[in-house]
Amino acid sequence: MGSKPVTASAPSLVNRLVLGMAAASVLLTGAAAMALDALYRDLALDSRRDVLDAQVIALVATAELDPAGALAPASIAEARLSTPGSGLYAEIRNQTDEVTWRSPSTVGSGLELKARPKAGERLVERVTLPDGTRVLAFSLGVSWETGLRQPATYVLSAAESLEPYFSQVARVRSWLLAGATLLMATLVIGLSLGLRAGLRPLRRLELEILEVESGRREALGAGWPRELEGVAQNLNGLLAGEQARLARYRTTLGNLAHSLKTPIAALKSILATGHADPAAAGPQLDRMQSIVEHQLRKAVLAGAGSTVASIAVKAPLTDLTGALSKVYRDKSVACHCDLPDDLAYPIDSGDLMELAGNLLDNAYKYCRTQVGLRARADQRPEWRRSGLLLEVDDDGPGILSVDRQRVLERGVRADESVPGQGIGLAAVRELTAAYGGTIEIGESELGGAAVRVSLPGR
Amino acid sequence: MRVLVLEDEPVLRESLIKQLRSAGFVVDSAADGIEGEFAGNEYPIDVAVVDLGLPGRPGLDVIRAWRKAGKAFPILILTARDRWQQKVEALQSGADDYLTKPFQFEELQARLQALLRRSGGWSQPVLQAGPVELDTRSQQVRCQGRAVELTAFEYRLLEYLMLRAGQVVSKSELTDKLYEQDFDRDSNVIEVFVGRLRRKLDPDGQLLPIETLRGRGYRMARE
Repeated sequence: MGSKPVTASAPSLVNRLVLGMAAASVLLTGAAAMALDALYRDLALDSRRDVLDAQVIALVATAELDPAGALAPASIAEARLSTPGSGLYAEIRNQTDEVTWRSPSTVGSGLELKARPKAGERLVERVTLPDGTRVLAFSLGVSWETGLRQPATYVLSAAESLEPYFSQVARVRSWLLAGATLLMATLVIGLSLGLRAGLRPLRRLELEILEVESGRREALGAGWPRELEGVAQNLNGLLAGEQARLARYRTTLGNLAHSLKTPIAALKSILATGHADPAAAGPQLDRMQSIVEHQLRKAVLAGAGSTVASIAVKAPLTDLTGALSKVYRDKSVACHCDLPDDLAYPIDSGDLMELAGNLLDNAYKYCRTQVGLRARADQRPEWRRSGLLLEVDDDGPGILSVDRQRVLERGVRADESVPGQGIGLAAVRELTAAYGGTIEIGESELGGAAVRVSLPGR
Repeated sequence: MRVLVLEDEPVLRESLIKQLRSAGFVVDSAADGIEGEFAGNEYPIDVAVVDLGLPGRPGLDVIRAWRKAGKAFPILILTARDRWQQKVEALQSGADDYLTKPFQFEELQARLQALLRRSGGWSQPVLQAGPVELDTRSQQVRCQGRAVELTAFEYRLLEYLMLRAGQVVSKSELTDKLYEQDFDRDSNVIEVFVGRLRRKLDPDGQLLPIETLRGRGYRMARE
C-alpha cells in the first residue's frame, strides 16, 4: 500500500517536454537571428558599394585634363568631398602612380589606397586609416585620351568610412537579440503552461488512484478525456473484480472457520472425557479434512469470468486420458475419444481438466475395459458463441436411477458429506454450476454410467 | 524392497519411514530435492515416494532429472493440491501414480506394492511362478494350492524373487534391497533364509522353485 519509492523519481513529463521544446526553440530562434544578421550585413554592404560606384562615375563625368596634364574634376558637386573628416574621400592617380587630384576631405586622414586596376577594371578594397577608421574603397581604371600617341590610364577612386555601417549592424543585432529572447521566453512559458493544463487529468488519475489505495474512494470518477477514458474504465473493471474476489475470499474464510468449529468442539469434548479414544476422533478428523478439501476446491475455481479466453479443448483432454491410462495401466482400459480438432470453448484450462479429470477418473475406476469420451460444440440460436457438450461413459456397473440425484448432491455441503464418496462428482457439479451449465447422469451404450455436462455458450 | 522417501515435513517423513520399515521396506530418505535427486541416482532403489513441494529442487524437476538419467524405478507422487492439471503434469514428467495428502498409510502401501508389481512385469496382484502363488494384497503364499506360513522376512525375500522371476538375483542385491545399510555384508544370513524358504515351500525337495547359480545368485523359475 502506497509505499514511497526508494530511488529518485525520473524527471516529470512536463519538465521533459518543456526542456525538449525549449532546446528546440533556442536552436531555431538562434539560427533565424543569425541568418537575418548575415542577410542584413550583405544588403547594407551592397548599398555602400553602389554609393561609391556612383561617386566614381560622377568623377569620371566631371574630370578634365588641366594644362599641366593632370586629371582633376572641374567641380565638386558632393559637399562631403570638400569637408575634411566627412568620411567620404576621392582621388585620381595617373599612369606613373602620382596623385593628380585628391578631394579636400582627405586632408589629414592618411588615406593610402593600394588597388591599381587596369583600364576598364573595378576593384574593391578595405583599408584602415591611422586613426583606426575602417574604410571601403572602390577604384576604376579609366583610359583617357590625352592627345598624345597613346591614351593614358588613370585610376579614379572613391572611399567611404564604414563606421556608420558598423554601428548600424550593431544596432540591428541588439534588436534581433532582444526579439529572439522574447520569442524564446514566450514559447517556453506558453508550452509549460499548456502542457501543465493538458496533463492535469493524469495528475487527477494519480490522485484518485492514491485515494482508492488509501480506501477513501471505491472507484475512479467519470469525465476523463478521450485518451484516458479506456484506462480509467479498465482500472475500474480491475478494481471491481478485486473487490468481488476479496468478498469471495472473506466468505470462503468465514465459511471455513465456521464449519470447522463444530468438529473442533466435538474433538475438545472427546479429549475432555479424559480417556481420549482415537477411534472416536477419526470421524471428526475426516469431517475436517473433507471441509478443507471442499473449500480448497472452491478457492481455486477460476469460474466463468468475462475475460476467460477460448481454449482448444482437445489437448488438455488428451493429456488427461494419457495420464489416466498410465495410472490405470493394470486394467488396460480402451479409451474411445471423439474430440474434434477445432473445438474451442472459453474456459480456464485448469477448470476443464478438473471437470473432465473427475469424470474420467470415475469412469476409469468403475469400468471393466471400456471408457468413452466425447466433446462437441452446442449451437443454439440465442448464443453468439457455441456452448460445450462433454460426455464420459464406461462399461462398468452404472449408477441406479434412484441414486443419480443423490450422487450429484452428496458433498455439496462438504461438512455433511462422507469423505471419498462422490467428492469427484460434487466437484464436477460445483464447476458446472460456476459456468452456468447443467449435468445429467444416464445409461451408456457401453452398459455403464454416462455423465453428460452441458456448458452454455454466450 | 528398497524405497526412497523425499518429504520435507519432518513429522510426516519420520512417520512414513517408521511405517514403511515395519511393512518390510528398506528405507532411504531425504528432506530436500537436491539430496533426494542424488540419492535416487546413487542408491539401488526399487521405488520412490516424492513430495512435489520440496525445498532446494522441486519434486517435478527431480523426477525429470532421474528419467533423463535413465532411472526407470516407479515413482509415486505425494501432493497437497489435488488439481488434475498438476497430476497430469506430474504423470507426464515421468511419475507413475499420485496420492493426495492427507492419506491413509494402507493406501500408500497398496499403491507402492502395485507399482513394484507392475515394474516387475506383473499386471495382476497375484504373482504366479511355477507351483508358487503369492497374493500381494493379502500377503498369502500357496504352493501347489497348499497354504505356506512365512515369517515377515521370508515373505519379503520370496516377494522380491518372484517379482523378478526368471532373472538372476545376486546375494549382494538381496542384501541391499532387504536390509538397512548397516547390515554386515559378509554374513551368510541370506543363504540361511533361502534355505529355510526352500524347505517351507518344498519340504520334499521335488519342485525346486528356487535355483542356485554358483557365484551369481538365485533365480526363481517363472513357469
